[in-house]
Amino acid sequence: MMPPALVPQSRVLTSPWRAMAIAALAISTVLPFVILLLQSFGESWRWPDVLPSGLTGSAWRAVAGGSLGRAAVNSAALGVATAVAAVCVALPVGRSLAQLQGAWRHVAAALVFLPVAAPPIALGAGLQIVTLWLGIASTSVGVWFSHTVPAIGYVSLLFLGVFTSRGTEAEEAARTLGASTWHTWTMVVIPSLRAPITEALAIAFLISWTQVALTLVVGGGALRTLPLEVLTLVRAGQDRPAAVGALLLIVPAIAALAALRLGARRTDALPT
Amino acid sequence: MLRRVPFPVLLAMLVATPVLFGVAYSALAVLGIAGAGASAVADSDRLFSVLTDRTTWRATGWSLYVAFSSTAIAATAAGAVALLFPTHKRSDRFARSLATLPLPVPHLVAAATALFVLSQSGLLARVLHALGLIDAPANMPALVYDAGGIALILALAWKELPFLAVVAIALRAGIARDLEDAARTLGASPRTVARTVTWPLLWRGLFPAVIATFVFAFGSFESAVLLAPIDPAALPVLTMERFADPLLARRGEAYGLALIALGVAAVAVAAHEVTRARWGSLVR
Repeated sequence: MMPPALVPQSRVLTSPWRAMAIAALAISTVLPFVILLLQSFGESWRWPDVLPSGLTGSAWRAVAGGSLGRAAVNSAALGVATAVAAVCVALPVGRSLAQLQGAWRHVAAALVFLPVAAPPIALGAGLQIVTLWLGIASTSVGVWFSHTVPAIGYVSLLFLGVFTSRGTEAEEAARTLGASTWHTWTMVVIPSLRAPITEALAIAFLISWTQVALTLVVGGGALRTLPLEVLTLVRAGQDRPAAVGALLLIVPAIAALAALRLGARRTDALPT
Repeated sequence: MLRRVPFPVLLAMLVATPVLFGVAYSALAVLGIAGAGASAVADSDRLFSVLTDRTTWRATGWSLYVAFSSTAIAATAAGAVALLFPTHKRSDRFARSLATLPLPVPHLVAAATALFVLSQSGLLARVLHALGLIDAPANMPALVYDAGGIALILALAWKELPFLAVVAIALRAGIARDLEDAARTLGASPRTVARTVTWPLLWRGLFPAVIATFVFAFGSFESAVLLAPIDPAALPVLTMERFADPLLARRGEAYGLALIALGVAAVAVAAHEVTRARWGSLVR
């Protein structure tokens, strides 16, 4: 009999059950992507056909000059602007929060978590009034502002974790050697944070890229983003262009995850 | 008093200002002092109307039920992935990758796909028809727009699983191996070790992330608008309907509903921080 200490840890289930679990994971992960692809290329997919009767690329060809293409460009520009603004604000906030200890640290973390946790419709209620006062309601700038708020919350929490784990020894050493605050940030802090800044940019971009409720409440339909376009198409029963839009929404998200994983692999932060 | 508050906490307050402002404005709007149809004198009509309307509590209860069910399914599955596939073997790595792959898929895409698969003329119904189990879409049990919220729960659980799996896998790798080794040396079977040592430690570490996903599921508008029934309505959808209502008094009620949603979120944030503070040190 094998000594207890040498029993492999993974054998909580026997092989057939493990194989079934992997198969179930594979189906639940891959099937939705396959369905979206078939839906986007399906020429006609009438009841009760299990597969489309033919394939066509017409919905994909229509992207470039159509509403989906324009919405994708709007969303991309909005995402980039949101990411840059969120990182510029969240980086010093996260660093500052990391210096806190005890109960204040939890109070500050909870405050920063609020815009992340607040249901978007409820958050939009407050942001709608702020943007009205600022004179940017129902404008692209107003939508950008509304996307930036939860993005700052997310990214501040990310930088709080980063600065908590890395400490400030390098900055203190630079200051001791006579570096100014500007030089400490530009020559020590930011270069050493290239990977977390890239991650933060990707996360903030995705928050904006996938945002629906805030765009609707604050934008009031003034800015057509890709998620709004997809939502409209799905609700209208336009399955083929809706599937194309859904796949367009996934592409940068998958690219961002791949970039994150590439960075994380170097630090063992995520499973491979 | 503000002088006693550390500067970083003031910065955090600044980040939270839009939410705090939303709470203050919603409170004023539901009392009729601010917003559409506001007057100089506060009255409790809108507040009373929201709090005594059965629709409000049905929507809140239904959204809590959906968020709880989807999070429970996702957390159980994430824990199972971390427990069943912990090694560096290729099959375990493959299973972990499969579980975390849909991480960046937006809620909207998950909900749209659920609609394509689970509606009465969706892919599942077509497969059942091909197998001879149903004759027409009407014979397919309603999973979308149904009071049970099956499609919505499944779509949210599918969307939440990758995030919770990432956290669970990272926690599983960090759980003190000496505790598991001690249990095994004392004769515990792998299942007993998993049930009595690994799972309790994993669950405590996972709990803050579970709370976060619960509150995301509770507030998810796009999933609910595509998959939830009209009655009972999901709270985010009901709030949006009230915002767009042509009757000004009903628009004011939207702020009352937003306050309820923010209240749930505030409780979740507090629970998140308390559990992080209490259990965060149990896993390294």
